[in-house]
Amino acid sequence: MSHKSKPALWRRLKMSYVAMIAACILLAVSALPNLYPNKSWLHISLPDQTVTLQSVTTSLNQHGFEVTEANDSQAQLAILLAEPTQSANALSFIKTQYPQLEAKIVEHATSPQWLQQLGLSPIKLGLDLNGGVLFVLDVDLDKAMQEHLNSVYQQTKLTLRKDKIRGIRASEVKDGVELQILPSGEEQLAGLVSTLQGQFKGLMQTKSTTNNLTTVLLHFNEQSQNEFNKQVMAQSLTTLRGRIEELGITEAVTQRQGKQRIRIELPGVQDPSEAKRIIGATATLDFYQVVEVGGKAFNVQGGGVVNLNPMAIFSGDHINNASVGKDEWGKPLVQLSLDSQGGDAMSAFSKHNIGKPMATVYSEYSRDANGDVVKKSEVINVANIAQHLSSRFSITNMKSPQAAYDLALLLRAGSLTAPVTIVQEQTIGPSLGSENIEHGLAALMLGIGITLAFMALWYRRLGLIANIALLLNLTALVGLMSLLPGVVLTLPGIAGLVLTIGMAVDTNVIIFERIKEEKRKGRPTYQAIEQGYNQAFTTIFDANVTTMITAIILYAIGYGPVKGFAITLALGLLTSVFTGVYISKALSQTLYIKLTNLTGAKA
Amino acid sequence: MSWSTLTAPSKARVLGLLLSCVLVIASLSVLSVKGLNFGLDFTGGYITEINTTSVTTIADLKAKLSPEVASKLAISKAGEYHFVLREAPEASKASTWQAELNEQGVDYSVLSSSFLGSQVGDELFEQGCLALFAALIAIMVYLAVRFEWRLAVGSVVALLHDLILVLGLFSLLGLEFNLTVLASLLAIIGYSLNDSIIVGDRVRELLRIQPDNQRINTHVVINDAIGSTLTRTLITSGTTLATIACIWLLAGAALTGFAIALFVGIVVGTFSSICIAATLPQLLGLSSENYTQTLDDKTKAYMEMP
Repeated sequence: MSHKSKPALWRRLKMSYVAMIAACILLAVSALPNLYPNKSWLHISLPDQTVTLQSVTTSLNQHGFEVTEANDSQAQLAILLAEPTQSANALSFIKTQYPQLEAKIVEHATSPQWLQQLGLSPIKLGLDLNGGVLFVLDVDLDKAMQEHLNSVYQQTKLTLRKDKIRGIRASEVKDGVELQILPSGEEQLAGLVSTLQGQFKGLMQTKSTTNNLTTVLLHFNEQSQNEFNKQVMAQSLTTLRGRIEELGITEAVTQRQGKQRIRIELPGVQDPSEAKRIIGATATLDFYQVVEVGGKAFNVQGGGVVNLNPMAIFSGDHINNASVGKDEWGKPLVQLSLDSQGGDAMSAFSKHNIGKPMATVYSEYSRDANGDVVKKSEVINVANIAQHLSSRFSITNMKSPQAAYDLALLLRAGSLTAPVTIVQEQTIGPSLGSENIEHGLAALMLGIGITLAFMALWYRRLGLIANIALLLNLTALVGLMSLLPGVVLTLPGIAGLVLTIGMAVDTNVIIFERIKEEKRKGRPTYQAIEQGYNQAFTTIFDANVTTMITAIILYAIGYGPVKGFAITLALGLLTSVFTGVYISKALSQTLYIKLTNLTGAKA
Repeated sequence: MSWSTLTAPSKARVLGLLLSCVLVIASLSVLSVKGLNFGLDFTGGYITEINTTSVTTIADLKAKLSPEVASKLAISKAGEYHFVLREAPEASKASTWQAELNEQGVDYSVLSSSFLGSQVGDELFEQGCLALFAALIAIMVYLAVRFEWRLAVGSVVALLHDLILVLGLFSLLGLEFNLTVLASLLAIIGYSLNDSIIVGDRVRELLRIQPDNQRINTHVVINDAIGSTLTRTLITSGTTLATIACIWLLAGAALTGFAIALFVGIVVGTFSSICIAATLPQLLGLSSENYTQTLDDKTKAYMEMP
């Protein structure tokens, strides 16, 4: 080796060493928070001074929830249970015991302050490790579209009547609204269509003429249907998130799955029935004018029929807030406050209709025996408008306090525009979750132990390098998983980790076998190492690309646990190439050669 | 190439290939007769896992239920005091067995419960098949670009062999085939190819460096390639199998099927990488000429450049 080339070589090597060490430190620090698992606390906000921390903790302790820590700060109580898996049960207990309080479960980080300030947190655990409830909801987009077209039809009829248009007849057909235009109505057609198009975005018209009769089909084309579907899904997601928040679950995952499914994961929840009642509910509330003649017949709760104007005065969408109350006879009622649009509609309507009746219609979707979605509407309340109403009023005649509470909650969170049905439901008990973690970690530890022992025995000094690389690989993988948002660790994910360990060794084995071979050919150690790494790289690259392809495909189609497996597998491939090729090369070039030089004479 | 010209290791490989053929035919016939035992992920339905110390056997548990309820339930035991109850997707959720058990004074706790609509199950199955095909096609394209076609065909046949044998075993033993097992099939695809590629890479390398005048038989070259990668293949398969055995033994019932599939997949994958992925190209007539040709083309193109 000449003196001239040596410093340049060293400088180049050192630059890459610095980069590698920096990457390792970064990932190791990101992995650190996993040593401090989060704890679930109960947060209870106190609206007044009637309830004290003392009374809440005492009653929790009396009912089998052992409180280990409790704080009182600025009208908010924070309580930590001895058994954090009991938090969800304790939450529902508090809700029944103190219905006026708002309580929720909040995860508290336990890692040192400086780690939290860096924004680092432990890996998110999937439901199978954490325990909790999973729902997959099917959103009936067809039904939503049908409803949408129906409102086009209703609006068309209304406009025809209001603008006194003659010579145009509207009828509802399968995929739109058909207008039959007599010669006398042709002039007014353009005006009608543009009015409707102003109200319904993306409404298209197709004209056809047979004999003297012109027919126009009002419909939505594929593009605007897709647009509508997207909007419905987005709205459903927002509504569901709102409802889950109302339930006091903060760590929930709500995401779209496929074209028309919504996946909801509620970690920590153990009793799915309340969540199910609220999440799956499709209740909507609309307010209608009661008419003497014509109109549409609606069933009244408890029997009877009443005729209503088919266009609602305003719908539940315009409700800003809803709360439960009692009337002077102690019967439950729901107090509403409307947004400005709803308030205006109510104000305008009630001003002109004092003394006339108004009906509150409660609608709910359900599936019939054939699995088809049916909408059931019921008039829950008919009341005479006593005065000019504005944005605040109440609905009386609620069946029970529970019904009033549920309705208020649903109205606060917004109603679903499309009917949803639960197509998948899964409850994993907290004991099963922690058992899964224990088992998974045990498998991981034993797997690592066997691999480390084998490599150390088989390759001796090189094996030491492989083992350092392996442990760095695990740290880097855990760090990367903690760092990336949206990565969730599941039980198959842990299996992926264990597998990655077994496979990561492969990279080193391929290289070491090459190095041995080169040495047998009589090359000096340094050259053998250089050659071994260079020659093995194509092979390693090929082998990893194919596994990466399968991991990506798995990630693309899988949901939940399978996705967790795909993520660990893919990230594991990346980190194993990084540690197995680059880091162990650097280690071999420095550490191994030094070790060989020390004992070189003997070897 | 006649049988008598082959050396002993080559003979062993050809015999191994024949054995593989027999196993594949056996697996396919078991699959066509018995089919697969699809899990909840694909059929839909209800599964409830309960823990109870009041009853110890399945028969005892059934005796506590009325006959019409018990007939709708498929009960299996997952451990001491640990039962798994399955119901068809048509059953109503307010299923009566819970009420009946309470009535009989059986003390139990629900560990987990799942419901999956049958339509979702069908969709998951379709998606799973789609994923398998997508993975196969993507890998074939990659191999076709990367390797000589005979080696690519060998790797793909080896891969199909591994998948069919694993499926055959699942069918034979009646093990539950669910989404995690499907995931393990995709992982097997990755690992099976890994082995085939490493042998193939070495075959390619040895064929390329062979001087034209000293050309020896391809099957000898392939034996050399297998010989020089054998230590690596055995070590990697060994460590991977050891870690999978850890999952199998320690990670609990939820991953048993997954671990069995991977374990078997890697065992047959190691076997097929030697007996199929390396032997089939030889039978298809792979020789060093296939590589000199491509080199010549490249050189020609290089020389024609201005």
